[in-house]
Amino acid sequence: MNLQVHLGNLTLSNPIILASGTAGYGREIAPYLDLDRVGAFTLKGLSSTPWVGNPPPRIHETYAGIMNSIGLENKGFDRFFREDLPFLENFQTKIIANIWGKTIEEYSDIAKKMNGLERIDAIEVNVSCPNIEQGGESFSSNGQVLCQLIQNLRQKIQKPLIVKLGPNTDDLNNVLQFMEKEGVDILSITNTFPALAIDVENQSYIFSRKTAGLSGPAIKPLALKLVYDVIQRTRLPIIGMGGIMKTEDALEYFLIGAQAVALGSVNLIDPSAAVQIIEGIKTYLVQKNIFDINDLIGKVR
Amino acid sequence: MKRAKIVQKRFLGTSFVELWLEEKDIAHLASPGQFVMVTTGSSYDPFLKRPLGILACQENQFGLLFEIVGRGTQILSQLEIGDQVDLLGPLGNGFSLNPKEALLIGGGRGFVPLYFLAQIFINKKVPFQFFFGIRSQEEKVLIEYLSQLPIPLVISCQEEFSGFYCGTVLDAFENWRQQHSLSKSAPKIYACGPQGMFQTLAKMDDIIPNQIEVSLESRMGCGYGVCLSCAVKKKGLPGYFHVCKDGPVFRLGEIEL
Repeated sequence: MNLQVHLGNLTLSNPIILASGTAGYGREIAPYLDLDRVGAFTLKGLSSTPWVGNPPPRIHETYAGIMNSIGLENKGFDRFFREDLPFLENFQTKIIANIWGKTIEEYSDIAKKMNGLERIDAIEVNVSCPNIEQGGESFSSNGQVLCQLIQNLRQKIQKPLIVKLGPNTDDLNNVLQFMEKEGVDILSITNTFPALAIDVENQSYIFSRKTAGLSGPAIKPLALKLVYDVIQRTRLPIIGMGGIMKTEDALEYFLIGAQAVALGSVNLIDPSAAVQIIEGIKTYLVQKNIFDINDLIGKVR
Repeated sequence: MKRAKIVQKRFLGTSFVELWLEEKDIAHLASPGQFVMVTTGSSYDPFLKRPLGILACQENQFGLLFEIVGRGTQILSQLEIGDQVDLLGPLGNGFSLNPKEALLIGGGRGFVPLYFLAQIFINKKVPFQFFFGIRSQEEKVLIEYLSQLPIPLVISCQEEFSGFYCGTVLDAFENWRQQHSLSKSAPKIYACGPQGMFQTLAKMDDIIPNQIEVSLESRMGCGYGVCLSCAVKKKGLPGYFHVCKDGPVFRLGEIEL
């Protein structure tokens, strides 16, 4: 049986990836999950310098989902380099660094630092976090600015370059064309959906920034539709994500044409879910008499 | 992830539930102040596990005691003996266990980790005094846990309630302090209760917040340090601690409440 997939020049032993921000920097989830079992592991988003993130409350549960407003809190590159990178040397699994900045210069700075690390196999650029003032979604809500950023980063990043687009990407057709032209290698689709919740008791917003990002099974059909939309318009390989809880969810993404999928919220409630999903995919392939997962990808057109 | 069978269950009044679960590793490893993340079912709704403090451990079993405060705990209260639950744990950093002498101050359901701590102190022969405060007669069902232990106990109730100090647990503590001169090696204070209790405690005379250990309650996403949801502000420093990984036990002086 073959589970190996090629996303441009990034080859994964299987198409299951841990999504950024749901598995820490590896050490946190390692007691529950053998990192070498997953195709790739995406680090919690890092900026060049530490970032404190948003004030609490940062999480709110909805029907079959969660809203978060973490605000990209992270320890910054230097502490990651000292505290976490040595641990990651113990594994063979592919590691994707997820990066962000408040300005093009900040993105550029962290991109250069990550590009210089041998242990990092690919770099995912987050231009779709809905929970910060500058950076994140503010880049993908303006097609022109986004293109400028990507052009700049492509020059700095020799490793496979992944762009993580959210549900509200401005001018999608042109952005996708531009990504292809500029040599972006892979797209991650999607990020959390901007959402709102009200505290009825106190007649106020739940979150201090009012809106927050919705994830979990509640968004799966919406995210799947986004992946479908993007697949119609680009030849770039796609990592599909949004609400994957079990094997069947992942299979839906493959069947529609995603070459790999990322698991996010499910890691919070079951840190070993990835292994069960990988095993479930194997069982499915056997049942369907399919030897190579690549024969499944895009079967539903 | 671990799976545990419920072996005992009882309601205390209408809003508190005690569950005993069989899971050898948790029962053997858990320390007072630590918690477990317990699933509410397999429907993904509610989505998240719930963090619950550990009440006690005995052989291969451990006890939980929680208050029904929302949809998740309501569902957990409907579990029956023989049901299985998925959980993670024991999680977080517990209390320090080797003081010369101790004072334990608990408010409402905040007595849970302190009850576990009290049992350890009894075994280790650490002398201590327990202060326990309840808001209303509704919570008097919790008193039986402590009154069964061979320990000096002061109980307060904010409603008039015969036999107990009338006021908050910190009023009772202050009153006791005035009547007892504390020994020179001031006893270590351990506290768990509502946020207002911690805020008042930090401002009391002759209190050194950095020498007090408190166990915090927080909404959590994962319980094991990846989602960064359970942020609590660092005092005098930029940034946040995370209750699940840096706590839930903190020094009162290091957090902003």
